Amino acid sequence: MSPTKNDPAIEKFDIQFSFREKLNSVAEGFRHNYCYQCGACVADCPANNYDEHFNPRLIMLKAILGFEEELLGADSEIWNCTNCYTCSERCPQDVRPIDVIIALKNLSVLQGNAPPIVGNIYNSVLQTGTTTKSSSLVDRRRKELGLSPLGSYPIDEIQKILKVD
Amino acid sequence: MKYIPFFGCMMTTKYPQFEAAVRKSVSHVGMELVDVEGFTCCPDPIYFQARDKIEWYTIAARNISLAEDLGHDIITTCSGCTATLSEVNLVLKEDESLRKEVNDRLKEIGREFKGSINVRHAITVLRDDIGVDKVAQSVKYPLNDLKVAVHYGCHLLKPSRVMRVDDPDRPQILDALIKATGAVPVHHDLTLLCCGKACMDDSIPDRMVMDILDTIQEKGVECMGLICPTCFDSFDVKQLILERKYNKSYSIPIIYYFQLLGLAQGYKPQEVGLHLHKIKPDPILKGLELVA
Repeated sequence: MSPTKNDPAIEKFDIQFSFREKLNSVAEGFRHNYCYQCGACVADCPANNYDEHFNPRLIMLKAILGFEEELLGADSEIWNCTNCYTCSERCPQDVRPIDVIIALKNLSVLQGNAPPIVGNIYNSVLQTGTTTKSSSLVDRRRKELGLSPLGSYPIDEIQKILKVD
Repeated sequence: MKYIPFFGCMMTTKYPQFEAAVRKSVSHVGMELVDVEGFTCCPDPIYFQARDKIEWYTIAARNISLAEDLGHDIITTCSGCTATLSEVNLVLKEDESLRKEVNDRLKEIGREFKGSINVRHAITVLRDDIGVDKVAQSVKYPLNDLKVAVHYGCHLLKPSRVMRVDDPDRPQILDALIKATGAVPVHHDLTLLCCGKACMDDSIPDRMVMDILDTIQEKGVECMGLICPTCFDSFDVKQLILERKYNKSYSIPIIYYFQLLGLAQGYKPQEVGLHLHKIKPDPILKGLELVA
């Protein structure tokens, strides 16, 4: 799906070059500048193959043109990336579209628009050191399988190196 | 040879049978596991990385630094942990200014990332340090031509710039190790398709997983073999959900590679936790005369 004059998404936005600076400021975000829109990232993108609305080339184009609201808003397509890294394999320009998409996600988080699971996983690591919960059932299964009990997690160290609000 | 295992969150709590299978099976091929206290979540390569990449680097660097104290390589057994720890280890070795930024944070707790060890998925160690031949020699009860659909998942192989394990478009590593157990690795059109677990819109992974299950069902395989607990989630528990939601009938057992290896080395199905799977592998165990 290439953007055309008839694409309403293209028509309604003014180009915001300042968005490039913002994207450049987060880790790996600068890579979007290398994109020359060849589309090599699209054909083998599984998310694109299963949902044409997810298109890594168009996400790069929207980043270049500064479609900030569309990319960072609550319903942004960036959250349908499979994180499979195939786009990184195909890209001849070292854009690593997946890494740009992760940079966009970091910006979306700053605007409070990320899906709840992002905050949930983060808080779980911050508060417990892990993303999964232990339980008496887990303890019993581990014992049955001949595994030693789980130790404690150094939560104090985690909280010291993360920005605690 | 000594290695530091990093089992992560899912394999220690949700799927401890995989941890048990790794610990049991690798002891037969000369791998000595040296456990380290104090590891946390790797952290999660999808959502934690999406929250704040610098903090993702920092937590991972703390984990790696614990292993650096002992001087042995980390082996990972979950593709998510592999993705996080391999990438962070490589990027911090290469990027001096990022390493300084991360180490300034680690200084708060008296730790430092030095860049002195490697992070490798356990099957990479089997191929490169142990050798497929030696793995085959540890097999006492070959899995008599059991037809196993190979599922590589994404993060063992990609990004290849970081992973450096195999050709991401024509991988051989898991095939060779499945063959070593006496089973037959079966490829199909969707062997390399992602399980889609990271997508927010459920309909995408639903259709991906059903396409893969439909394809391997047509191939007449007896089970699927894989190396990632997240992929396992997508094919085992989710298989039941998909059967109900879309009126499908699959019953394809999903088996973690080290469970296959453990069985072939003579462990009972219960000892590698096959009874804990949602899709019971009883038909293939009967075929292998492993069930009474």
